[in-house]
Amino acid sequence: MRSPEMKSQNRRALLFLLLGLALALILMSLPLFSFEAQVYTKKSANTFVGDEKYVAAKAEAEAVAEEYRAQGFSVSLSEDVLERVNSKGKTTSLVTFTLSQSYGKNLFSLLGQGFAASKLTAALLLCLGLSAALAAAGLVGSGDLLPRYLDGRSRALRGAACVTALLALLLVPVILMMNTYAFSRQMGLHNAGLLEEGRALFFSRMDRLLFDGQMGENIEQVLSGLKYHCSGLAWLLLPAICIILLSAIQIRFGAIKGTLLRGLLYFFVVVVCLVTLYPYYVMLITAFRSNAETLDMYFLHMFPTKWIWSNLTDIVRRGVPRYLLNSLFVAGGATAIAMLCGIPAAYAMARMQFKGKKAFLGFVIMSQMFSPVVLLIGISQLMNTLHLNDSIVGLMLINAAFNQAFAVWLLRGTFVSISPEMEQAALIDGCGTMGALTRVLIPMAAPGIVTALIFVFINAWNEYTISTVLISTASNRPITVGITQFSSFNMIEWQYLFAASLLATIPVVILFMSIEKHLTAGLTSGGVKG
Amino acid sequence: MNTRLNRNKWEPYLWLLPSMLLIAVFVVFPILIVFKLSFSYISQGGVIGGFIGFQNYVDAVKLPAFKTVMLNTMWWVISVVGLSTLLGFIIAMVLNQKFRGRKIARSILVFPWATSLVIQASVWNYIIKYEYGNLNNVLLNLGIIQQAINWRSSYQIEFIWECAVGIFVTVPFVTFCVLSGLQSIDGSLYEAATMDGAGFWGKLRHVTLPMVRPSLTVSTVLNIIYVFNSFPIVYTMTKGAPAHKTDTMITYLYMLSFYERKKGPATALSVIGFLILCVCAGVYMIGVMRKEDEQ
Repeated sequence: MRSPEMKSQNRRALLFLLLGLALALILMSLPLFSFEAQVYTKKSANTFVGDEKYVAAKAEAEAVAEEYRAQGFSVSLSEDVLERVNSKGKTTSLVTFTLSQSYGKNLFSLLGQGFAASKLTAALLLCLGLSAALAAAGLVGSGDLLPRYLDGRSRALRGAACVTALLALLLVPVILMMNTYAFSRQMGLHNAGLLEEGRALFFSRMDRLLFDGQMGENIEQVLSGLKYHCSGLAWLLLPAICIILLSAIQIRFGAIKGTLLRGLLYFFVVVVCLVTLYPYYVMLITAFRSNAETLDMYFLHMFPTKWIWSNLTDIVRRGVPRYLLNSLFVAGGATAIAMLCGIPAAYAMARMQFKGKKAFLGFVIMSQMFSPVVLLIGISQLMNTLHLNDSIVGLMLINAAFNQAFAVWLLRGTFVSISPEMEQAALIDGCGTMGALTRVLIPMAAPGIVTALIFVFINAWNEYTISTVLISTASNRPITVGITQFSSFNMIEWQYLFAASLLATIPVVILFMSIEKHLTAGLTSGGVKG
Repeated sequence: MNTRLNRNKWEPYLWLLPSMLLIAVFVVFPILIVFKLSFSYISQGGVIGGFIGFQNYVDAVKLPAFKTVMLNTMWWVISVVGLSTLLGFIIAMVLNQKFRGRKIARSILVFPWATSLVIQASVWNYIIKYEYGNLNNVLLNLGIIQQAINWRSSYQIEFIWECAVGIFVTVPFVTFCVLSGLQSIDGSLYEAATMDGAGFWGKLRHVTLPMVRPSLTVSTVLNIIYVFNSFPIVYTMTKGAPAHKTDTMITYLYMLSFYERKKGPATALSVIGFLILCVCAGVYMIGVMRKEDEQ
């Protein structure tokens, strides 16, 4: 089966593989990260560049530099000129000579140093090595590029090579960011006097990394003013790994274009999911942080330093269970009313012929168009007259009415999709219309009914505007209004706000996920949204 | 076919009665009240007086913030509906492909739809705080920015953020609408198009778009209505401050009637909003009815 053409293709793929690997390793051993420490500064007196005071100061600085160089340090001398005009109108300069020592470090020097990036670098090396080895093994095992000729073993090997190469690709930006985080940010905090926890550990690690642990006590002073710089070359690691990945893909699938599109698709999906989940992540971590941490700009961690579970007990004391219960009543009551009114209407619409059917349909759909907000004034007036102001029952009725359209619409669709033969049989057997509905149709339409039920429930649970207007007594508030008590005008207790939000969100999100599949079907016909 | 069911000429109406009653009392009646109030004098204390013609409407148009608010509402609706339709369409196209983890991705995408708007708005409100917001925190920690950025330095930018949050919560709805349209497309249509030599864009133009147009129309019209009616995002994030410069019509009329005690102009605004909605609803009705007739 092995044509010479395929063999040459394979050789080329192998060559590319080795090239990518070599490139990656070379890049990793270059001094990609540099630290600049100021070891000596000399300020000249008021002077002009070039006069004797300047020359003297410069000579002094250079002498110090020579001393350092004699000891084997690589230092560089820079001068900073500050011009200013004195009271007599003469321009003088203040020259600052700075002797700075730069420490270049490559990725390998991070290994075993205990930084977050250290372990990841080890993982990166492992991934690179594995992926190259797997790809090569898959290549040697079978000579053909076309997947249909590949045996199972080499297919698996090449697939694994792709996965490990992808992993390596992901690790690179993570490592670079981890480094920036560890060095730039922590050092910045140290310089601003804000680094408190993990201080000693950080110092000892930096000491080991930069000075082989020689600095000891002095490290704190040396680190002040230390500047971190990541070379742009580091990003070249990405294309290098891409070469490995591509040659692994070429060996695996033969076609690069389709695979790239696939990669792009996954990338897109992952980005969309991450953006979608981001506010929920913020909600989660903030709900368990202390008040001081929620207001801390220098908060360093992706997760709370200490998970404050007492936030939950605090919100319990502040009345949140009561609000949740109110919401449960409002949403449950609204759902019950909407279903009790909606099922008969939907049944009539689906099974009976009568004049004005279309008009009723129009009436129902029209009512769906008006969110209660634009009618707020009318509704509050109406509720005043009915004495349902500030009552949970009032909220139930309003929510039921404004969700009626969807309930009828979706239920009608479900009923229509079920053949009437079963009910007719039940009718012939002597059941009344009511019996046919409750004993035959409702059990058969259960999935559609549950979907409508949950949807109305969620809408009522999440409703906010009408409740703010109608409810004035604190103990009658549903949760959406209840959480606003944590954000008063001058102080927002974010941790309580989000802890309560979390409790209000989790159940409905789970409910919603359970009906997502059924909802898609009823969507475009019914038209629904919270 | 259902002769047996129609024993009584009035029976169907009996079945419809509870539903009609509910809608009539709690939806239609408030509409009538608002209409009546908009032509009545209402004192600052909320006492309702006699008929004053179109005075409330004149007052409403003369309000200093009226023009800003109307423009804001227009921008709000156009940007949120337009961009979320575009984004939702793209995401639906992607989610319609077969790939591993599609179910998980779809479940995740449902999150913003299932969450209360007031909670969403609160979270974003926290995220973009200048002094301690999470966005600055994360970007600083990752070393992407060196200095905290003031994400809400002016009211225009705050309004853009509000639109962004609006888009964020609206996209899932569009995605799932389009997705339901996409899933009803017969695969053989694409095969035929491929045979005819159509590329990606050709298939998009001649197969996908015509086929999902009904669901896209429904979702767009509904979104116009829902986004127009949206209250919690603007109210939670800026409360319309400064001086109603970030208000939309809905939050403005809320502020007018419940904070500033100008119920008269507020009812007039309600009616104006109601009429705008009626136009949208009419378009939607025609679309739905036509679809019904086709079936």
